[in-house]
Amino acid sequence: MNKTNNNNNHKKNNTLTAASNSINSKVILDSFIKLDPRYLAKNNPVMFTVELGFLVVLFVAMFPNISDTFVSQNQIFYVETAIILILTVWFATFSESLSEAQAKARVDSLKRLEKEVTARRILHGKEVVIKSSQLKLGDEVKVYAGETIPRDGLVISGKTFIDESMMTGESNPVFKEKDDHVLGGTIVTSDSIVVEITAEAGKSYLDEMVGLIQNATRPKTQNEIALTILLAGLSIIFITVIGTLLFSAYFLGYNTDIATLVALLVALMPTTIGGLLPAIGVAGITRLGKDNIVAKSGKGIEAAGDCDVLILDKTGTITEGSRSAVEFIPLQKYTEEDVGQVAYAASIQDNTHEGKSIVDLSEERKYIPPMLEKLITAKSIEFTAETRVSGIEFIPNKSIRLDSEAEEELRNLAKTVTSQQEADASTLEGLEETVDKFGHGKIHDLLLEMEKSSQSNQQQVRILKGAVDVMIGESMSNSTLNIAEIKWKAQEVSKKGETPLAVSINYEIVGLVVLKDSLKENIREKLAEVHATGINTIMITGDNQVTAQVIAKEANVNQVMAEAKPTDKLQRVLEEQQKGHIIGMVGDGTNDAPALAKADIGLAMNSGTAAAKEAANMVDLDSDPSKILKVVKLGKQLLMTRGAITTFSIANDAAKYFAILPAMFAEDNPKLASLNIMQLHSPETAILSTLIFNAIVIPALIPLSLRGIKFKAQELQKTFIRNMLIYGLGGAALPFVAIKAIDMLLSTFMR
Amino acid sequence: MDTTVQLGVLIVGTIGLATIFGTYLARMITFEMRPLEKTLARVESGFYKVIGINATRQMGWKEYFFALFLTNMVVVVFVILVLTFQNYLPLSEGKDGFSFDLAFNTAVSFITDTNLQHYAGDQQLSVTSHMVAITFTMFIAPASGIAAAFAFIRSFIRKNYGLGNFYVDLTRIIVTLLLPVAIVSALVLMVIGVPQTLQTSVETNTLESIINNNSSNSQTINIGPVASLESIKLLGTNGGGFFVSNSGHPFENPTGISNMYEMFLMLIIPLSLPIAYARLMGKGRGLAILVAMLIGFGTMVAISTSTLSGPLLLETRFGSFGSALFDTVSLGSNTGAVNSALAGMSPEAITSFFLGMFVQAIPGAVGTGMMTMIIFVLLTLFIVGLMVGKTPEFMSMKIGPKDIKLAVYIFLLHPALILVPTVIALGTGNAQAIVGDQVTPMGYTQTLYEYTSSAANNGSDYFGPSADTPFWNYSTGIVMFLGRYLPLALLLAIAGSFTMKDRKEVIEPIKTQGPLFITILVTVTFLLTALTFFPFIILGPFSI
Repeated sequence: MNKTNNNNNHKKNNTLTAASNSINSKVILDSFIKLDPRYLAKNNPVMFTVELGFLVVLFVAMFPNISDTFVSQNQIFYVETAIILILTVWFATFSESLSEAQAKARVDSLKRLEKEVTARRILHGKEVVIKSSQLKLGDEVKVYAGETIPRDGLVISGKTFIDESMMTGESNPVFKEKDDHVLGGTIVTSDSIVVEITAEAGKSYLDEMVGLIQNATRPKTQNEIALTILLAGLSIIFITVIGTLLFSAYFLGYNTDIATLVALLVALMPTTIGGLLPAIGVAGITRLGKDNIVAKSGKGIEAAGDCDVLILDKTGTITEGSRSAVEFIPLQKYTEEDVGQVAYAASIQDNTHEGKSIVDLSEERKYIPPMLEKLITAKSIEFTAETRVSGIEFIPNKSIRLDSEAEEELRNLAKTVTSQQEADASTLEGLEETVDKFGHGKIHDLLLEMEKSSQSNQQQVRILKGAVDVMIGESMSNSTLNIAEIKWKAQEVSKKGETPLAVSINYEIVGLVVLKDSLKENIREKLAEVHATGINTIMITGDNQVTAQVIAKEANVNQVMAEAKPTDKLQRVLEEQQKGHIIGMVGDGTNDAPALAKADIGLAMNSGTAAAKEAANMVDLDSDPSKILKVVKLGKQLLMTRGAITTFSIANDAAKYFAILPAMFAEDNPKLASLNIMQLHSPETAILSTLIFNAIVIPALIPLSLRGIKFKAQELQKTFIRNMLIYGLGGAALPFVAIKAIDMLLSTFMR
Repeated sequence: MDTTVQLGVLIVGTIGLATIFGTYLARMITFEMRPLEKTLARVESGFYKVIGINATRQMGWKEYFFALFLTNMVVVVFVILVLTFQNYLPLSEGKDGFSFDLAFNTAVSFITDTNLQHYAGDQQLSVTSHMVAITFTMFIAPASGIAAAFAFIRSFIRKNYGLGNFYVDLTRIIVTLLLPVAIVSALVLMVIGVPQTLQTSVETNTLESIINNNSSNSQTINIGPVASLESIKLLGTNGGGFFVSNSGHPFENPTGISNMYEMFLMLIIPLSLPIAYARLMGKGRGLAILVAMLIGFGTMVAISTSTLSGPLLLETRFGSFGSALFDTVSLGSNTGAVNSALAGMSPEAITSFFLGMFVQAIPGAVGTGMMTMIIFVLLTLFIVGLMVGKTPEFMSMKIGPKDIKLAVYIFLLHPALILVPTVIALGTGNAQAIVGDQVTPMGYTQTLYEYTSSAANNGSDYFGPSADTPFWNYSTGIVMFLGRYLPLALLLAIAGSFTMKDRKEVIEPIKTQGPLFITILVTVTFLLTALTFFPFIILGPFSI
């Protein structure tokens, strides 16, 4: 296993470097194409203005004699200024191209994988090789080690490790067995599996990703629009300022140099955020994709940042979703062993996780009922929505014959009471005897007695388990029923957040089986983080109020909606929205679909129904409901990054005035020399170093905008103070230091 | 008077009084019981009947604005007519009618709460004009501003609370706020020594003539209904004086006590509005706005008094500090009344005055100052608010693209209205006609000041009657007009947008109160202002 792993990693690294090489040349080409003023005018007004400035300076650089009044520097300075200006624009388009390329790179490599592959369709038990594109919904295909899974599907048999690195970037192969989802394009690394195709051609994860990322007209979100307006407004204000400054200085009889004014304008305009804004938005979708979540639009991600109420299903999100037996509680007349034996008998034919866990617990405690051979062949009473009980029914003194399968099962079960060899070696009769001898207690004896009874009227034995209320109802015919005791004991169980099941034999309730749904790992910490950022959590469960409250407390959930029907979800979403909350919720069932559609952030599970996936605005391919917490975090990070760079960009401006204004006018107005607090070398170096700083800030912040700024789960106010100090205060201070440093560097080259 | 005592008395006194006024304003905004409610309501409903308005009718923002605009325009036409034809009206005392451009300028100037005066009041205006045109307009203009602020505040109270009815607000503000306070103040000023008479001048013999017994050497001293004009001039942050030298004239501002009292009047309503806001929107939020205003105002005082002004062109009765403080109060509250010539103030003081007019919200004129500060709050929240990872909210209402657009227009408008006309005035030579052919930093400052004062609806200026030329009358008139009604329309549009927003029950992501928010609000306010106007301060007052 490890070996293949290393191999995989190795291969992956190779392909990655190869890919990044091709990305680079593509990115650069694309970033040059984006320099087209028409593109910029439409998409990035700030950079468009910078480019216009570049053209003005370029013109002056080519015709330095055009005017005496407004052109006063030497030609080299204009050339230098023009170069820095166009670099500024290019850095911006580069960051945008890079983020788009990152998104596309994933898609391209995915697309290559999606190329036509052959699939072994199982038809009447035979494998028929067909093209993957010919597969239809519901087809079953067999995939062997080393082969590519032709399309998204569900494993129906077999176990395997699957290499999903091309989809998820996760290098460790993932274990998949029955009922797990597999993605088209991923590779089976061991054994073989049979997959039922669940996606129509062209509707797989891949296709959705491709569609999303390739959608060039990514609609801007509300915040992006508002921010663009603010930035455009600031740009227009600065254009007004610089335009009138030019004439004001002229009328005052000062030398005004057009390139210097352009430099001041570019320095003042919010070029940093203006340049990085598109990249930040694209990066948000890419980052979600890395977490295996397909977002249908950027809107959902942004709403996630605003989310302040999370409606969480108890099962699957907060708890593992599979309840296991942890304890047997006998009623007064019985012992724990009695309960264990009855529970074992009631669950022996129950293949659900709950049933298995009851058998496991009984085996662990060695509470084995007699007559296993009768139990395994007994008539199963299936759980139905109406009866809400399950169990077995059999006639003890009726002799039976075991077929080979049942015999094997019996030998298997007997391992608990005897050693492996013994179980295999002894005869069937001997084995049965050993089992019968093994246990003790009232029930044990009762059952054996019944088996031996030679009464002709063959007595039925009915062993049941079910919810306490239902079981009491079932057992009403029994006059010795101590309802008060049962109810009290059941309540005690509920109080601990556990679920009681009553078990009975022939309508005599023996005791309770305590089922516990274990909390998901780290759910407390995860929810604490969520709460720290000011989000309220509501847990929805069908459990009774008491149980729900206990689990809520244990898991650290704010509010509980107990005894909820599926339709209550939608009701709650609407109610909370009425109050002005932004709701996030997870769902997988068809009856979740209306609520998912109404919620501001609806995260559907890939394992869920098509209706749910259709209604939600995001789909989690890993079908992990707790991912909603990640989505919220990512949304917040996206907004924070935007805000931080905006603040940084505006805070930068103060220093730039102090660098450029004295450089512009100090010659004509000595009083202004006192503004040169940075003591910059010369007007030329002052302007150039300001522009250089202005330009290199953009590439310097590309990693930050692609990655997003650090997100710490804490009170909003604290986050605010922290970011304000870093990006506000830091943004104001940094240019003073940086411009001075660049100036010192430049002054060594210039006289 | 000792400087700290002056400042202390002023601040403590106004805030103390503003608390009472603010509570009263809050009741006016929400139509709660006021003292003497029955009597007041009867008077008001009498007015409504006379004018013929339906007091219960609620207006949307557009309707509210147009009601305000139309009312104001009716007044403008009326004032233009009175001023142009004042020589035909009673009590004209032989004073000529105004030229149309001057009448236009004056009418716009007064209705926009600017009170830029390109004329000498005591010499060119008749008593009728003073009382019917000027003093009357001085009630309408601030009442319009306060009414707009009422509507603005109402939009935040709760969803679709309604912005109110402009005519009702205007009536109530004049009848139950401005008139009573102005009457009391006029009486106080009369007691202090401000004249109030229909007589236009007194003939008196100079000391010299008495000694020489030469009656031909007599002197004419202009007087008139000064006290009534003076009280509303300051209370409504109007600023247009009776005399050319405004509050520097002994009849407008006779003593140190009157100087203090007049400062009181200028600050009282601008500072009461945040308190009314606090009553309605939560103590902390209103307090934050009040404190931010006071920090801004404090900065102005600190800058303007950092160097001695004068001694030339200052009233010796008030001295450097008294003059600088009075002018700072006047510029901060966008009143525009001055008790000294601007030319006599230090460059630092002038810088401080510019600051007040650039920000327009420390504390700003009645009504508009408060609204402008809230726009600063919105912009601050939007710029820094994203940093907590949520869509910025104001009072649990999302700030959308539309709100940002409107707010940005307001901020775009101000520099455009100041800078573009300044350049035009210089380019056409009209500025040089006044400040001299060689434009010095001083001349530049004066030109810039004229338009800044117009755009900010302040009204103080260097030029005075010397700018009574068609160019200056029309250009400043247009700037005053646009500088008043465009922002008002935009502000009411923002109110219209907010009144329809959903409110959340949850706490705001960033609390709009407390020291942290105040610090950031003040920083962003100063930063945005400085980034826009810094180069012009440098070329202007800094270089004097």
